[in-house]
Amino acid sequence: MIIIMEQNATTEQVQHVMERLLEHDFDVHRSTGASQLVLGVVGDTQSVDPRDYELLEGVHEVIRISEPYKLASRTFKPQDTIVKVGDATFGGKKVGMIAGPCSIESREQIRKIAKFVKASGTKVLRGGAYKPRSSPYSFQGMGEEGLKYLREAGDENGLAVVSEVMDRVDIIPALKYVDLIQVGARNMQNFALLKELGKVDKPILLKRGMSVTLKELLMAAEYIMAGGNHNVILCERGIRTFENYTRNTLDISAIPVLHKLTHLPVVSDPSHGIGIRDKVAPMARASVAAGADGLIIEIHYDPDNALSDGAQTLFFEQYEQLVKEISMIAKAVGRTV
Amino acid sequence: MKDKDLRKIRQQIDEIDSKLVYLFNQRAEIVLELAKEKVRMGKKLFDPARERDIFVHVTDMNPGPLAPEAIVRLFERLIDESRRLERTEVYDKEEGK
Repeated sequence: MIIIMEQNATTEQVQHVMERLLEHDFDVHRSTGASQLVLGVVGDTQSVDPRDYELLEGVHEVIRISEPYKLASRTFKPQDTIVKVGDATFGGKKVGMIAGPCSIESREQIRKIAKFVKASGTKVLRGGAYKPRSSPYSFQGMGEEGLKYLREAGDENGLAVVSEVMDRVDIIPALKYVDLIQVGARNMQNFALLKELGKVDKPILLKRGMSVTLKELLMAAEYIMAGGNHNVILCERGIRTFENYTRNTLDISAIPVLHKLTHLPVVSDPSHGIGIRDKVAPMARASVAAGADGLIIEIHYDPDNALSDGAQTLFFEQYEQLVKEISMIAKAVGRTV
Repeated sequence: MKDKDLRKIRQQIDEIDSKLVYLFNQRAEIVLELAKEKVRMGKKLFDPARERDIFVHVTDMNPGPLAPEAIVRLFERLIDESRRLERTEVYDKEEGK
């Protein structure tokens, strides 16, 4: 951390800042410039709130050099983390694919979709049982019954399954049925939930909130990791921008930036990211080209009659075509599907 | 200037550096002695008035060509490192850290 003093800072003000730093067991390196004094703060400044020093008299600016997240940072662990979910891996050479309906609607629906997912070569089945819908009058999901159907459909086809938990009370049933626990965009700063997920023995798929910076996303991952669970997959799923033609703006740039900042795998969810069916495939292709470690795609045999998010859901044939295209793009960037 | 001359001057610099390292450490030994005394008397680690006196002393006796500001900057670092040594070797140990 670096503290830049005001040009007219008095000796007493500088002394006060130094005394405060020394009280907190930091060492100080002074550097007197032509007009300003800079204090280099040496020590573990991770837990320091820069504002505590910015408020002191005579301080012009406080600049943090080290990131506030540690376990999630690439400085802490330079090698890529590979998260295994059933037969799929995320973060290695292979691009992990996840497909399935937005919501589990019935036993038959999820079984039918699981069969297709298996045939397409995809190893992980998604399906929402607890749905965080924007409207309380929309379909809210089947709950634990839905998770049972999801597990059954997964087992019948040798697929791992992923589903979202919205609340701490959903964790216990989720642990019983799913292989990968998803934390959704609307819930990813629910720190009580994240802390609980830090204690579980299952990997976590952490989605980026629609108004969340990459630093905040990494802080959310840090919450889970601080509890001991280091198997976290990050997911870009679109952010809110001034553009309203699309549902969200899929932030493709998040993928290479996150890869620089963190060792955790980064997957892309173009279905939510753009929210319009015919735009999902181009965004999926772009994500893989940008280095995504995996994709989550919403599919349904009858998207137009799906109980949620039908407009962004692909037909089976569209998904098959997409997998073919993704395989070619993956090859071009030194990966496989 | 020939390479040989350059080598000779660099040799002089090396000799001075050796003396400086010796003097830095000699100073550090005394600093540690002082730190123990400061702890015994219940005095704080950071003594800005004393630091100011040091800057005045070293700039007053500075014959140049280094500017007084340059001397202050050099001694700031020397004092910062001395304070760190006092903290890690004496103050932290006294407080059982």
